[in-house]
Amino acid sequence: MNPAVGFTAIITVSIITALIGFYGLRISRTTSDFYVASRTVPPWLNASAIGGEYLSAASFLGIAGLIMISGIDALWFPIGYTAGYLMLLFFVAAPLRRSGAYTIPDFAQARLNSTQARYVTSFLVVMVGWLYIVPQLHGAALTIRTTTGLPSWVGATAVVVIVCLTVITGGMRSITFVQAFQFWLKLTALAAPAVFILLLVSGSTGMVPPGGIRAGSEFFPASDILDGESMYRTVSLLVALLFGTLGLPHVLVRFYTNPDGAAARRTTLIVLGLLSVFYLFPTIYGIVGRVFLPGLITNGNADATVLLLPGTLIGGLGGSILTALVVAGAFAAFLSTTSGLVVSLAGVISQDLLGGSVRGFRIAAIAAAVVPLGVALGTDSLALAGSVGLVFAFTASTLCPLLLLGIWWRKLTDIGAVAGMLTGGLLCGSAILLGAQLGPDSPWRDLLTQPAAWTVPAAFLTMILVSLATPQRRNASLARFMSKLHVPERPLATGQGRG
Amino acid sequence: MTTQDSLNPEQGPPATGRVRVVSPHSAARRVLGGASVSEEVAEQSAVGEVMVQSLIRSQLRLALVVSIGFMVALMIGWSAIRWVPAFRTWQIMGIPAPWLMLGVGVYPVIGACAWLYVRAATKNENRYRDLVDEK
Repeated sequence: MNPAVGFTAIITVSIITALIGFYGLRISRTTSDFYVASRTVPPWLNASAIGGEYLSAASFLGIAGLIMISGIDALWFPIGYTAGYLMLLFFVAAPLRRSGAYTIPDFAQARLNSTQARYVTSFLVVMVGWLYIVPQLHGAALTIRTTTGLPSWVGATAVVVIVCLTVITGGMRSITFVQAFQFWLKLTALAAPAVFILLLVSGSTGMVPPGGIRAGSEFFPASDILDGESMYRTVSLLVALLFGTLGLPHVLVRFYTNPDGAAARRTTLIVLGLLSVFYLFPTIYGIVGRVFLPGLITNGNADATVLLLPGTLIGGLGGSILTALVVAGAFAAFLSTTSGLVVSLAGVISQDLLGGSVRGFRIAAIAAAVVPLGVALGTDSLALAGSVGLVFAFTASTLCPLLLLGIWWRKLTDIGAVAGMLTGGLLCGSAILLGAQLGPDSPWRDLLTQPAAWTVPAAFLTMILVSLATPQRRNASLARFMSKLHVPERPLATGQGRG
Repeated sequence: MTTQDSLNPEQGPPATGRVRVVSPHSAARRVLGGASVSEEVAEQSAVGEVMVQSLIRSQLRLALVVSIGFMVALMIGWSAIRWVPAFRTWQIMGIPAPWLMLGVGVYPVIGACAWLYVRAATKNENRYRDLVDEK
């Protein structure tokens, strides 16, 4: 691939990101601006921003890569990523917006009336965020290596530097504009080449792809379905994705920027529409890639399918332009997810350790980005969609029970919540670590590499049982908090925002 | 808010648990302006507390019904792919039905579930508002 194409795309995206960040700087002045954009972002803008933040390396590159490797089973990933928002809409969106808390630890403290519960939650939020940033940086490393030939560390470092600069100078208001722009960029970057690829493959342009369609290769081999994954793995993956989404810190912080609970629901509805459209496209890359780029499967670079396919099928200037577009889209994916995570982690770290000032927020932002950079540089990239899937499993086993029971179950106590989160975190964390050491034939492989199906129920069960055993620890002012979560806001005659 | 607060009859010493009986169009309500009557009722009276609990219960029931329905639909789809050979080999315009279902067909179902839920949840909240206003 011509390195100039990759460089142009990456530099352009970075400059536009910085410009929008700078433009946003002019309207962010107070601490409240920095944290949650003063909660006045309209639903469509907020929905684009949520889409921009959520569609990470795993969605942009990982799904197509996984279809290359495991065929139709990979389609459960985009289904789970989207349906996770469905669960978020059903159980969390409106009440969490009404809770009036800035971050998940704020919610934990208000609901449980306990600083210990707050600290445990903060710790888990930071862990989840760091774990989630690492695959983004792996994706950036892969993209830079594939498209420009530079060493891997350049990609990861570049993403961290750009994100830190944007977050430090603009805070969340500019992040909202940046993320919204990046959603539409990602959608265009994936959709436009996909349309050309489809025209080419269906033969309607009259062009024959280089080398023609290989003899004996089919788009939809029947073996796909017959050698599929076990029912346990599919169910466990869906549990992780469905219940992991509603605990993701960068997703949740977005809901605080809605004006009220009803707007939070409308926003989620729009997000679901945007995601549904987006996830049609990675599938096309995966299916076509299996036929035309089979070499990527054997050399372990399946995640590069999206980056290489347009250039492989379409030659000349057109191919270069489309390649530049997908590279730009991929880079936007790393930037937006990482910056969303860095903002939410910085919010948590600065409130709990640095007193919640704007200066503290900036220091925390750097800490939030640099630690995962160290981890990313020291580890090798797994399949992107798979490693992000494990982060979802961890979130579903820790923060998800806290939110679901905290919002819907009056008897939850602080001790119960802490016990449940720690149990889920320990079980899921050790399963992931052990699972990575196992050989492919071990009978424990399924249970340990896809742990959500048993760690999530274990976390819920612990939380419920310990809460029932400690009824004296129930929050005394709970009734007030619960009605705040669930009672609809009145249409305001004075037009003043509350909370 | 300060001027409104001084006019607000509720700012006196209202006994906790006392049920406030006012006409929906009474001056007392209009004076509250931006504050939420429904929230105040909920916090101050036993009846309000019961109403909030029933709102929470109906919202939770709704969320559980829609989400379980969605998961059952997913499982039926998965079983069809796995265990119904006719579905597995059925092709529409050259694309096998399992690919079409998982790659495209699931998303309208997700959208429909979300839309139904938002409609029903809003209805629950409106019913609660009406109840509070009738008091």
